[in-house]
Amino acid sequence: MSRVAGGDADALGELYDHYGRVVFGLIYRMLGSPESAEEVAQNAFHSVWRQANAYRPERGSVRTWLLAIARNAAIDWRRSKGNRSGRETVIDETLMLVDERRVEDTVITNLRAQRVRAAVASLPPEQREVLSLAFWSGLSQTEIASRTGAPLGTVKSRVRLGMARLREWLGDDEVQR
Amino acid sequence: MTRHPIDDLAALAIGALDADEARAVRAHVAGCQSCGAELRALEEAAFAVVATAERDVPDGLRTKIIERARREGVPRQAPSSPLFDLFRRPAPLAIPVTLAVLLAVSLAAYAGARRDADRYASAIAGIAGARVVALAPTGEVAGVRGSLVIPATGAAPYLILDLPAAPSGKTWEAWVVRGETPLAAGITNDRVVTTLVLTAPLASGDGVAVTLEPSGGVDRVTGNPVLAGKT
Repeated sequence: MSRVAGGDADALGELYDHYGRVVFGLIYRMLGSPESAEEVAQNAFHSVWRQANAYRPERGSVRTWLLAIARNAAIDWRRSKGNRSGRETVIDETLMLVDERRVEDTVITNLRAQRVRAAVASLPPEQREVLSLAFWSGLSQTEIASRTGAPLGTVKSRVRLGMARLREWLGDDEVQR
Repeated sequence: MTRHPIDDLAALAIGALDADEARAVRAHVAGCQSCGAELRALEEAAFAVVATAERDVPDGLRTKIIERARREGVPRQAPSSPLFDLFRRPAPLAIPVTLAVLLAVSLAAYAGARRDADRYASAIAGIAGARVVALAPTGEVAGVRGSLVIPATGAAPYLILDLPAAPSGKTWEAWVVRGETPLAAGITNDRVVTTLVLTAPLASGDGVAVTLEPSGGVDRVTGNPVLAGKT
C-alpha cells in the first residue's frame, strides 16, 4: 500500500492481481450486471489510488479496507442511478448467502470455499437472510428491518449470532489466504 | 467501567451499521485492544464469505485501471489524519460565541432542574472577560462537550472539557492546528469536567481539536478528533 500511496501504478496493478476477482465478484453480485460491475470496479480501484495514503494498517487488513471501498462504490453507484429495479432483481439471488449453483469457479473446488459453504449451510435461514441482505444488497440493519418487517432488535441479534457462528466455524487460520 | 460494543462489532464488520453508530463503535475500537482483535476476526470471516463470490474479471479491466491511475499521476497526498479534513470543511465548526453562551446558560438551567449542578455548564456560564468558542462534537464519541476559552487578559487559552474517562493505555490530547500542522497542546486523563491549559501557542484562525492518543501523549496526531473548533 505504501507503494500505491507513493504513486506507483504498477503496485496498484499488483493489488488488482491479488484482489481484482474478489472485488469484481462482490460488485457483480451486488449489482447483477457485468457492465455496471466493470465500471464500478474501475471506480473502486480509482478510489484506492486516490485514498491510499488514508489506509491505516492498525485498523485492519488491506483486503477488508479494499472490500469496504468496493462495497461503498457499488452502493453509491446504485443510489446515483436510482437503480431500484436492478436492486430488486438482485434481491432474489441474494437470499442465498453463498451461491450453491456456481460450480464452474475454481474457488468452489478448494477446501476454503467448501468450509465457507458448510459453515453458511449450517446457519438458520433467518440468519442467512439478514446476512445476505447486508453482504449483497448493502443494506444496514435499519434498512433490513424495514425491508423484512422484522424488529430492529431481532435483526441485530440475527446479524450478531450469524457472524459469531461464521467466525467460530471458519476460525482465523481457515480464512487467512 | 467501559462498555464494550460487542453486540455491534459483527454489524460493523459487514458494513451494516448506520453511519453514526459506525463512527461511535470505531472510536471505541481504536482504543480497545480486545474489541479491535474481535473486529478483525469478524472482518476476516466476512472476507471469506465475500470471496465465494469472486469471478473472472473482464478482459482489459486491469489495463483501464492502470492507465487511469497513470493519467491522473501521483495520488493526492491524503491527510495523515481526519483532523485535517475536519478543518477543510466549508461549514463552520465553531458555534458562535453568543450561541455558546446561550447554550451554556440553557444547559445550566437544564442541569439545575435535573440535578443540583452540571459542572460543565456552570463552568462555562461563570466565565467573564474571555472569548468562549464552543467546540463541535464530531460524533466519534457520544456526549462529549468542550469549549475553548481565550482570556481577555492575555493569559494562556484553556479548554473546558467534559469527556468520559480515557480507555486504559490512552489519554485525551489537545491540538492546536495551524494550517495543516497540528501542534500537541497538552493531555488530560481526568474524567468528567476538567480544564486543560493549552501548551502550544494559539493564534487567530488556528483550529483546536481533541483526540484520543496513546498514554503519555504523542507528537504527531494519530486519533480521530472527538471535538473540534476554530478561533
